[in-house]
Amino acid sequence: MMNGSPIHRLLNSWAIQVRVIHALMIRELITRFGRENIGFLWIMAEPLLFAGLVGILWHFMKGSTEHGVSVVAFTATGYIPLTLFRHCVARSVAAFTANQSLLYHRQIKIVDFILARFIIEILGGMMAYLFMAIFLILIGEFPIPADLGLLISGWMLYGVFCFSICLILAPLSEISEAMEKFIPVVTYIMIPFSGAFYMVSWMTPGAKDFLLLSPFVNAMEMMRKGIWGDQITAFYDPLVPIICSVVFAIIGLILCRRVRRILTVE
Amino acid sequence: MIICSDIEKSYSHGSRRKKVFSGLNLVIEKGERVALLGRNGAGKSTLIKLIGGVEMPNSGKITRNMSISWPLGFAGGFQGSLTGYDNTRFISRIYQRDYVTIRQFVEDFTELGKQLKMPVKTYSSGMRARLAFALSLAIEFDCYLIDEIILVGDQNFQRKCNEEMFLKRNDRAMIIASHQTELIRDFCNKAIILHHGEATVYDDIDLAIDRYTNL
Repeated sequence: MMNGSPIHRLLNSWAIQVRVIHALMIRELITRFGRENIGFLWIMAEPLLFAGLVGILWHFMKGSTEHGVSVVAFTATGYIPLTLFRHCVARSVAAFTANQSLLYHRQIKIVDFILARFIIEILGGMMAYLFMAIFLILIGEFPIPADLGLLISGWMLYGVFCFSICLILAPLSEISEAMEKFIPVVTYIMIPFSGAFYMVSWMTPGAKDFLLLSPFVNAMEMMRKGIWGDQITAFYDPLVPIICSVVFAIIGLILCRRVRRILTVE
Repeated sequence: MIICSDIEKSYSHGSRRKKVFSGLNLVIEKGERVALLGRNGAGKSTLIKLIGGVEMPNSGKITRNMSISWPLGFAGGFQGSLTGYDNTRFISRIYQRDYVTIRQFVEDFTELGKQLKMPVKTYSSGMRARLAFALSLAIEFDCYLIDEIILVGDQNFQRKCNEEMFLKRNDRAMIIASHQTELIRDFCNKAIILHHGEATVYDDIDLAIDRYTNL
């Protein structure tokens, strides 16, 4: 059926997966947002509203600046990646069961479900971030990013780490129903380790070393350094999120493979 | 050719375990029409799902050397919340077919008209069967996996199936799970009886039906 060299076969499989993920994303967007009114633009509505309202709230509670940076901008840059993480977690629970009728088609692999959902979430998060930044720059609450490359790298590392968590959560949620009950608590406990509401340099030295073990904090510091440049002091090591993501992704892929073998499809 | 060698499948729930079959061997050649017979719960649908790659065996290997349709049955294959057209578009995309051609065929074959703009979850099982058959016929597979579903169609649908599936595509392989012995007698040239986790292959259809009726 399929002849040719291994490289040819690999390219062919790659093309199939790209097509499948594309189709899954369109399907997901239609089922979640429909074709009415603003349609798929809703994906950025929630992070924007969240970041916007919390930003305004803090603006009145804490004053317009904190440690020399705009409170609204600081909150927004923290909240949008955090909503990405929370959405990713929520979307990966029971991702296989929700899509199981599509497993009838052999070319659809279970990792495609996770990837399609993740891509939608990260596109939504990035669009919201961009939209919010442009708006805040226009009203003078947000600086022109000092180092765009660092900002984007930080975003990428944050995203990749979220994805590696999805790769573990999705199969785990199929194995154990008890795990689902712990997820809300764990995501709440994770908030202080997300780096969303502080800079590491504001912390005591003891807390600093501890927080820098969190991949989220490292990535968040990179994003903020990329935006404010010399206005702030940032501590980060890109290797922390990279190593954690690789380890999590390997564990996740192994779990996915095992779960696929025992998955019962109605 | 499809080769199942030493297949074992069991389902476990908690500490309970149900063995469906073990040590199952099977070869299906190009163009063979195989009837799958067995009582309820004998594992007909499970075998079809394993051959279709929907579920995986606990051990053993399934080699597929021809293109095989997804199992055409009461469940699966479609996203209920999407319309008939959206499902058609989705399937054209993942099977890399031209949407306009497929849509044309689906409209002609299903005769569902405006219903195609409604979510598939609002369809009756007969309507689903029409859509599933239309799509799999339009895509053209070497082997069709059919799980019971021909039964649910009306006369018009059965006539169409007969014409498109059994006459126009009589060079294709088929695996049909059905309790409808007349249909099997008319169209199949080989039968497999699943009973107590074992599969017995019969080349004589009448003999197989005779055995099956006495199970």
